[in-house]
Amino acid sequence: MFEHRKLEILTLIGVIVFVVLFMYVSSQSGHEFSGSDDVGSEKIAELTGKPVDSFTPLIPQYEPPSGEIESTLFALQATFGGVIVGLVIGYWLGQKKRPERA
Amino acid sequence: MHIMEGFLPWQWCLVWWIIAIPFIVMGVLELRKLLKQDREYLPLLGVCGAFIFILSALKLPSVTGSCSHPTGTGLSVMCFKPYITAVIGFVVLLFQALLLAHGGLSTLGANMVSMAIGGPIVGYLVYKLLKNTSVNIFVTVFCVAAVADIITYVITSFELAVAYPAAVGGIAASFGAFFAIFAITQVPLSILEGLVLALVFKYILELKPDVIEKLGVFSKEQIDKALGTPDAAPKKV
Repeated sequence: MFEHRKLEILTLIGVIVFVVLFMYVSSQSGHEFSGSDDVGSEKIAELTGKPVDSFTPLIPQYEPPSGEIESTLFALQATFGGVIVGLVIGYWLGQKKRPERA
Repeated sequence: MHIMEGFLPWQWCLVWWIIAIPFIVMGVLELRKLLKQDREYLPLLGVCGAFIFILSALKLPSVTGSCSHPTGTGLSVMCFKPYITAVIGFVVLLFQALLLAHGGLSTLGANMVSMAIGGPIVGYLVYKLLKNTSVNIFVTVFCVAAVADIITYVITSFELAVAYPAAVGGIAASFGAFFAIFAITQVPLSILEGLVLALVFKYILELKPDVIEKLGVFSKEQIDKALGTPDAAPKKV
């Protein structure tokens, strides 16, 4: 019965391996799990010898006042995507159930 | 892969913007043509775009102890080719630059070249290469998605390296340093992204094989083979 579910099983295994690796790495000390964008910025500062704070925006920019607000906006972004996916899949499912319209 | 606002000298911002703009223009033109041609493509476009929105909002922890975004551009580039993907990528990056301070308006050009243009184009080449071989189409999707993801970060590393060559070793040394930060973190994430998008593609195929066929993404024979329905007989309900 699993013949048509190979890909699902493979993905599940992938996710499990990923989570287990994550749990292992996070149990070791010395990993902050900071964003690689920020680590990249620090590297730029290191290469140029200028502190990170000296890089000021060329074009003034809105910055979310706190991490909470930032995560809200990220959640909104994902929600927007999720709504569209659900909508379309539902639309297609509905089309499939109905007899073909001539 | 976002290059933060202010972290790229203005000359380089300009260079990457100039490279990016033609893709956006071409993308908008193609998008209009596609939608005039057939409204049936709109839902699929929505799903492909939506996955870029979802995946690029997720900052996943990687085994290297830092977090990074998948890109999700693989599906879109296979179904709608690089130009249209560039437009969707532009919308996502603009949103993140304006509201989230992830990347900025000056670095938007550079971020587009990596995530919305460069990564997808290389992914598309992989698709072209594997399309007419006997490789299973889900394996193809996996490869396209994973490659588009990882190349995005390779390009970001390159963009930073040419702007900030190391004092010792120049561009190559600095590329190595950025590559170590971005791309290595990204390897496990891109594998995961490849798996997830392959699965999504399977569900799209099960629901709408005709649209995928009409777009010429894969041939009918390939789709039937992948779904395991040799004569595509309608199932009894």
